[in-house]
Amino acid sequence: MPDRASDHDRATRRLWPALALPGTFWLIALFVVPFYAVMAVAFSGRINLFNEPIPAWNPLNWQSSTVTNVIKDSFTPSGVYHEVWVRTAIYSFWALVICVAIGYPVAYYAARLAGKRRGLILALILAPWWINYITRMLAWVNLLQDDGYVNKALGWFGIPPHSWLSGSSFTVVWALAYGYLPYFIIPLFASLDRIDQRLLEASRDLGVGSVRTFLHVTLPLSRLGLITSLVITALPMAGDYYTNTIVSGSPNTNMVGNQIELFLLEGPQKNIGAGLVLVLSLVLMFFMFYYLLLTQRASREATR
Amino acid sequence: MTFDPNDPALRRRRPRPQLARRDVLRGGVWLGVGLGVAPLLAACGDSGSSGQTANGTAPYPLARPDKPVTLAIKDSNPPIADGLDPEEGGTFNILNYAQYMAPGVMKDFGKKHNVSVEVTPYNNYDEMLAKIRQPGESFDLVFPGPSVLGKMVYAELLQPLNHSYVPHLKNVWPEYQDPWYDKGAQYTVPYTIYGTGIMYRADRVTSVPEVGYDLLWDKAYTGKVYLLDDRQEAIGMSLLRNKITRDVNTSNADDLKRAVDSLIELIGLVKVKTDVNAYSEVPEGTATVHQCWSGDPIAGQYYLPKGETPEVLGYWRPTDPTEYVIGSDNIAIPKSAKKPVLAHMLINDLLDEKIGLQNFGWNGYQPPITKLSATYLVDQGYIPKNLSNAVVVPSDFKGGLTFYEVSPSTEALWQNDWARFKAGA
Repeated sequence: MPDRASDHDRATRRLWPALALPGTFWLIALFVVPFYAVMAVAFSGRINLFNEPIPAWNPLNWQSSTVTNVIKDSFTPSGVYHEVWVRTAIYSFWALVICVAIGYPVAYYAARLAGKRRGLILALILAPWWINYITRMLAWVNLLQDDGYVNKALGWFGIPPHSWLSGSSFTVVWALAYGYLPYFIIPLFASLDRIDQRLLEASRDLGVGSVRTFLHVTLPLSRLGLITSLVITALPMAGDYYTNTIVSGSPNTNMVGNQIELFLLEGPQKNIGAGLVLVLSLVLMFFMFYYLLLTQRASREATR
Repeated sequence: MTFDPNDPALRRRRPRPQLARRDVLRGGVWLGVGLGVAPLLAACGDSGSSGQTANGTAPYPLARPDKPVTLAIKDSNPPIADGLDPEEGGTFNILNYAQYMAPGVMKDFGKKHNVSVEVTPYNNYDEMLAKIRQPGESFDLVFPGPSVLGKMVYAELLQPLNHSYVPHLKNVWPEYQDPWYDKGAQYTVPYTIYGTGIMYRADRVTSVPEVGYDLLWDKAYTGKVYLLDDRQEAIGMSLLRNKITRDVNTSNADDLKRAVDSLIELIGLVKVKTDVNAYSEVPEGTATVHQCWSGDPIAGQYYLPKGETPEVLGYWRPTDPTEYVIGSDNIAIPKSAKKPVLAHMLINDLLDEKIGLQNFGWNGYQPPITKLSATYLVDQGYIPKNLSNAVVVPSDFKGGLTFYEVSPSTEALWQNDWARFKAGA
């Protein structure tokens, strides 16, 4: 009898790690190996006759000069890439602010107040995903051009036409917010939806008004969902390089993704492109870790 | 719905890096880690192959007009024999910029020889080289310019031509039958020739200054001023406009810095934008002034909104041919070609006056065929009179400036300065 039990234990002990295998494989094949390849290029700097980088697979052969220079040029105020980093941060920040301002009420309404129409609202939020991202952006070009519908509509109210597409940061920020808004709303909706209705009722029973209930109950309970949404939206936004290319195309709205594209697309310096990818990944990982820290703390609190 | 390749409404051309929309489409991949991987994995297989380090010199001579190059023909890579029968059936694979050969020309050729013609597109030479070098991949035709030819021959990616299949070579300008980058036209024949100038809306630009580049620096056109999204063309133009040097392949860091500083001025002054779509943006009115290739204004007449005539388009080029930047693309046959005889035949067709004209009528880029002079093209109605200066003439090729193949370190210098402009600081 005891033998059998230990057999069973051993089997389970093998089963659970085995179940993790596909995920582990996925992680190694699609993250660890590519990331190491980026490092091997960033720390190599050698190219062959055809402008292709020769990765330095052996860390002992790594030369740090490219990456050091990229970091220096990124984070010292006189550096070549300093401006694009600042711009990337500012654009992402304001686009996220817009996402929160528009996305939170929408998610809140869909989760708490929509009732029977919730399915319809979710479908509407997801509807843009039926159309390719680039196509949606190109559609905005038609709407925003000088003789486009936006300016025509403004004309009805006597507002003079505006050149929306002439390298305007304002347009780029709104385009980013528009493009990534669904990514923001869906996780937030899920988290708001999970909040236990009874907690809100309890709050109301204790005589707290609806505004204070929101501030002291709903908002703290949805904090983690909000942060998840922010992270999921911020990651692709920070690496975006085509939204601004389409709606602006001017160097004064270029973000770090455009610099990466410039070096990786062609030419002999793919190592600089790889170096920028590395720095961008590290910056984003920093936020990622902060997020993981928060979730861990939250789950610890929950089990306590 | 039928697709008529000769329908003028469908004409378009895009000879060079399409940095705007297509790249962007291809770039639907998220950036971050993803983007870095594709070229890297492609490079994994052959680290250390026929190598050259970032600062090394090329193991083959770099061609210059005053130092012409006769490309080597090795015994191991001979041209095909005379008098072979053309291959039949299957696919004929062309490696080319997208939208750079008239669909009608390809369709007729395929019909005549019972093959289906397929095009694999590329955006720049790095991408072309990566595709042509893929093991097991075979292409029958490719379009390398002078700046990439030397290394392709050195790496045995091309096969020499057998001129007995290409009698129409006599139709092209004598200069091109024996060009400086390929003496004796052993590996290539010319495909198109074009200059770099300024395209503008003649109805909005009332007076064109003597140096037409100055239109780009004119505040009156703020928000509608475009540079070519091509570091050589943009920086080269600034070198000439500011009279810094006529050496558009300079490796002088100070010269480059001055040229790029002047381009950076454009950001604050006119909110300059960059792309390669002059052929559509000027006719449609999105751009008022656009640095362009000379094929753009010619193709542009097919992009005008209803009711507008080609008179609204204008093209400026330096009158002095020694200040005119000339580019050209060639046709060559990859070593991996499975249908080399057919490839020779298509090359011969493209140098035929009638087929060459058909191809020109579609993409706007002129083949250097002697008969297709500016007067002839205007008379035949292919070019409106006001754009006849967009036709390149033999003296331009003889006297003009060209971007050569330069060392990787010079390329890096240019790229870093271009990145400085692109950062918009």
